[in-house]
Amino acid sequence: VKLTSYEQEIFDGNHGKLKQTALSNIIDYARILGAEELCEITKATVYCGAHSYLDVVNIKNPQETFSKINLGVDEVIPFDETDSDCFTQSCVCVCDMNCHEEFNVTKEKYQLNLDYLKMASEAGVIIANTCTPYLNGWIPAMGEHFVTTESGVTTIGNSLFGARCNADGIEAAFWSSICGRTPKWGMHVEENRGGTHLFVVDTPVETKQEFDILGAVIGKNLPYGGVPVVVGDLKRVNFDKLRQMMTSVAITSNCELCHIVGYTPEALTQEIAFKGNESKGTITITDKMMKDLYMDICDDTENEVDFVSIGCPHLDINNIKEIAEYLKDKKICGKVHLGLWTSYPIKHMAEVNGYLETIESAGGYIFTDSCPPTIGPEYIGKYHGMVFDSYKMCKNLRNKSKADIYFGDVKACLDAAISGKWEVDHRWKK
Amino acid sequence: MEKIIIKGRGVMPGKVEGTAMVCPDSIEGYGGFDPKTGVIIEHNHLHKGKSLKDTIFVLPGSRGSNGWSCFFGAARAAGAGPKALIFNRIDSSSGVAIAISKVPTVVDFSEDQNPCELIKTGDHVIVDGDTGIIEITRK
Repeated sequence: VKLTSYEQEIFDGNHGKLKQTALSNIIDYARILGAEELCEITKATVYCGAHSYLDVVNIKNPQETFSKINLGVDEVIPFDETDSDCFTQSCVCVCDMNCHEEFNVTKEKYQLNLDYLKMASEAGVIIANTCTPYLNGWIPAMGEHFVTTESGVTTIGNSLFGARCNADGIEAAFWSSICGRTPKWGMHVEENRGGTHLFVVDTPVETKQEFDILGAVIGKNLPYGGVPVVVGDLKRVNFDKLRQMMTSVAITSNCELCHIVGYTPEALTQEIAFKGNESKGTITITDKMMKDLYMDICDDTENEVDFVSIGCPHLDINNIKEIAEYLKDKKICGKVHLGLWTSYPIKHMAEVNGYLETIESAGGYIFTDSCPPTIGPEYIGKYHGMVFDSYKMCKNLRNKSKADIYFGDVKACLDAAISGKWEVDHRWKK
Repeated sequence: MEKIIIKGRGVMPGKVEGTAMVCPDSIEGYGGFDPKTGVIIEHNHLHKGKSLKDTIFVLPGSRGSNGWSCFFGAARAAGAGPKALIFNRIDSSSGVAIAISKVPTVVDFSEDQNPCELIKTGDHVIVDGDTGIIEITRK
């Protein structure tokens, strides 16, 4: 791997042991990929907090755990800096920073999570704790190189913003944020960004839930390593629907970039989206494919529910406004825990606008910093009927819970929260 | 006994042998398996309930969350990771998983040598991460 003189200085240890180790790992990663050089990154999101995957070592010591798991070394190398030219902020962590009893999380775990965040903050990471960094100004421009630990942000950044990012991983995002470099490979290279497969949407797709389902159908039908080019019957397209679609594309495949002809910046036309590549195949998305996917993810029963969660990815202020308007003068069923998930600036705006008060008066919560599966089994394990507005949440909870899992649009989620029951009328239908 | 030899790009050195576990549809990132035991927990996965610990783990590439690699790193720390990795084609998430797993790994096979088709679960496989040569023996 060819290094610049500055990178060689880091590699030689002239900028400290932490940067040296991070760069050395990035060089190894580049060698494995087959990259010949590195590129500078200017934005990063990193996965901070006392996450459950760290529990294989002495999780109570953040610095020791960071070295062993995130740097992959046995000696303790303090995580005390990030690259000064890289706008780095944190992705979701394991608990809301303002409460823990609502999630059945112990005070010890809550405190440990704060200790991990303190370590990251002191290293220069801005504590944002959200999967929607773009809602607080972390927006990579077209052509800007970034890394992220959120798969949906990889596809949103590449596809909707035209920025450059690979799916990497949690460790590599830390390495990149510390040394400011990532392998110049994959989506960071212009000629790799052309479409490979054409997806023709042959059924009307209009609601946010339909865009969510469409994303999962594309992901499940995309050959490994493919870059989809989507054309067809998309109606009333907006950013909110597209970010939902990009999230489910990412979770069902190894897709990093998804062109949508007429809506994404590198796909003004179908020809431009393919960038001279010959299409390796055409996949026609039918109404039946959409229905089969929905049948597979949403339980086919009518049962009582005790858990409703909305906001994967985290809600924007307009999402919260619509929920508050729907809940005005209504009450959530007493046995139902209704949680809405968002980021700090959005929650603050919800408070300023009176939406928070309306939602709390109805019996719901607005939480920040995390989401149900990221908190873990102590939160999600005690419920029997769970409703989500997101394919990704349903898919994740299917692995982790024996509860009934239902997938509704926001109105269906709120109706189920009010009545305490999932009914056949709540199911998605054309 | 049938013997097949295929060759890819060796990216993590070392030579090991073991029993193959083949996942033609890969495994879901961040939550597809328990890193403490290696047991696969993904809903509807072909090998749900079985452990990938000490297997020769064969996949087309990664799937899902950017947290794909960290479960391999955690499994390695817990002593529950695979003995070797084989990927049809490298991608960024699998690249980080390889870097953090540090077990012999071979990737990038030609299109007519698809490891997910040529290797069957239960085959005895020798992986040479230096030369990229994979020796498959079927009983």
